[in-house]
Amino acid sequence: MLHDYALLTITGLLWGGVYLLMAEGLNLIYGVMKVVNLAHGDFIVAGGLLAVTLFSTYQLSPITALPIAGFLLLLVGLAVQTGILERLVGGGSQAEIRTLLATFGLSYIVSNVALLLWGGQVQSIPFLQGAVKVGGLAIPENLLVCSIIAFIVAGSVHFWLTQTISGKTVRATAQSELGAASCGLNIKMIRAVTFALGSAMAGAAGAITIVLIPFQSTSGGDLTVQSFTVIALGGLGDYVGAVLAALLLGLTQSFTSYFLGSNVAAAMVYLLFIVVLIFRPQGLLGRAGRV
Amino acid sequence: MAQGNTRKIFVGLKSATPVIALIALFSLAATSLWAADASKITVGLSITQTGPFSAPALFELHGYQLAADEINQHGGLLGKQINLVYYDDQANPSTGVQLYQKLITSDRVELLLGPYETDLVAAVAPIVTRAKMVMPALGANIGNYQGQYPYLVQAIAQTAQYMAPVVDLAAAKGYKTIALLVQETQFPKEVAQGIKDGAAKKGLQIVFESSYPPGTTDFGPLVLKAAATHPDVIIGATYLVDAEGIVRAAKAQNVNAKMFAFTIGPVEPEFNTALGPAAQGMMGTTLWFPTLKTPGNAEFVKNYQAKFNQMPDYHAAVAYSALIALSKAVQQVGSLDQTKIRNAMLNLSFQSVCGPFKLNNTGLQIGYSSYVLQWQNGKQVLVWPKDAANATPIIPHAGWN
Repeated sequence: MLHDYALLTITGLLWGGVYLLMAEGLNLIYGVMKVVNLAHGDFIVAGGLLAVTLFSTYQLSPITALPIAGFLLLLVGLAVQTGILERLVGGGSQAEIRTLLATFGLSYIVSNVALLLWGGQVQSIPFLQGAVKVGGLAIPENLLVCSIIAFIVAGSVHFWLTQTISGKTVRATAQSELGAASCGLNIKMIRAVTFALGSAMAGAAGAITIVLIPFQSTSGGDLTVQSFTVIALGGLGDYVGAVLAALLLGLTQSFTSYFLGSNVAAAMVYLLFIVVLIFRPQGLLGRAGRV
Repeated sequence: MAQGNTRKIFVGLKSATPVIALIALFSLAATSLWAADASKITVGLSITQTGPFSAPALFELHGYQLAADEINQHGGLLGKQINLVYYDDQANPSTGVQLYQKLITSDRVELLLGPYETDLVAAVAPIVTRAKMVMPALGANIGNYQGQYPYLVQAIAQTAQYMAPVVDLAAAKGYKTIALLVQETQFPKEVAQGIKDGAAKKGLQIVFESSYPPGTTDFGPLVLKAAATHPDVIIGATYLVDAEGIVRAAKAQNVNAKMFAFTIGPVEPEFNTALGPAAQGMMGTTLWFPTLKTPGNAEFVKNYQAKFNQMPDYHAAVAYSALIALSKAVQQVGSLDQTKIRNAMLNLSFQSVCGPFKLNNTGLQIGYSSYVLQWQNGKQVLVWPKDAANATPIIPHAGWN
């Protein structure tokens, strides 16, 4: 029994890492720009399917594919921000609706391009299928690797945002665009960098999580919703909050699916979400207007 | 300024409307004229030609096309050449309904074939029934063939039959216990019911049963619980993604059983590309296989490859057999009297490339069964029933290392 509890705790925390990995890009973009990128899940899918192609055609492992997918999605993100989002006019709530609609349209474009390129079949990569044995516990290798990457990314982004000048300019922009601009910051460029970086994080996340969760071209919508749940639970745009939320989701899912069945586990995530929204509508650690 | 642009686009669209309408009218008129050609028999259907569900549907379309070609080469149907009329339903049931409406009332097709998959079959069943037109349908779930849609006939194996030979193989090897993992959707639930009925008949015991919602990603807890009951056989009533997820989790947690079998998943080539070495020894079922010794199967494979430059899959074979069955019924009747064709189909009994085609009196398929396949060294081989097999099953499963 103790063995089961230990395994459920560890795999729960690791799955939390996977959820975090997929949500990080969305979180960064929302935190800085107040833009919910509805094409986020489609970026993840594109990164994943790209890794499948690199694996089947050039025998590149998903670890090698990760920076490649990240770089390509970085370019896509840059193009989207400078070519589309930056050009949408109007401020305030109107701007939020417009970017939402624009990224909604973008999600269709990305998923249909993916459909043309890769077809509709669900795909995955046979990689790291063994388990690491720790004192009689079998921890799946792919889960471990995805999770470690997630925490490294989360840690470095947190470090960047809080400890470096460039990161601080990004946070300053998040707090007040007007204030940041009047201090001489190039907020246009900061937005472009942020969106590109968030997109790159989605692409990189896709390249590695596809070994764990098979994707098809149209899986993007579900992944966006899942990622959005994590960041909303943590407090939109809040980094530490997202980490907590992801771990909490992973643990909840792992324990409820073992003790109450997988059907209950699926509902439990949203039940948890509703409870947090009732008692802490700003999310676990959310504060208005800060990153 | 941006608003000005939007307005311009709208104005542009407005002025284009009559042109679009005219084109639509023309294309409608063209298809109607085409359908009325007296030297041909028009056979209509909708099929998912685009979108994420198009791959299996295109195999079906190819199967129909090949059957039509062969019938035409042998003198056609009632002395006329078959002309297939088909439209893309994009896997959308309401589009399917509109298209069958159009096929029946405006194209006035003379015979119908079914669309791809249960949801679409169920959606178009009422219209087809109202029009009193026979439709050989490729939906495996049995709900549509209980007598409420008398003109629907099932041209694919019943869902409950999908895993029957797996249970049979387990019984033949003397295995006693089964753990059953079931996706919480219609098709897998019917598959599971079939497994339970089959197990009861063969004296096997279901020691574990658990369902999970579609979209489940972590199968670790589920396989651990199943493993705690030490089953001889682990069977998943699955689609592709969940079958892969269960195999991954079983390998990672070193959960062992003598046999692993899944619906849908292992029949897809992607199962092997996604799992690599872990696919070794995994079993699944198919409704057709290229090495089957059924009459005409070798020619079917050869002609299909010649025409479409790829290997057929079971969807293609099942669809091919459906049109062959319909044409046999029409030949017997000697006219296009739909009620007579339906009765002829219900009494039809022949060996198709998939096996024996036979219906009960409500149109339910009672002839077709499935065949057990296994992944051996990166290839699918047929291992059961014995008389259809081209390889011996590798069981018990060798373990994950």
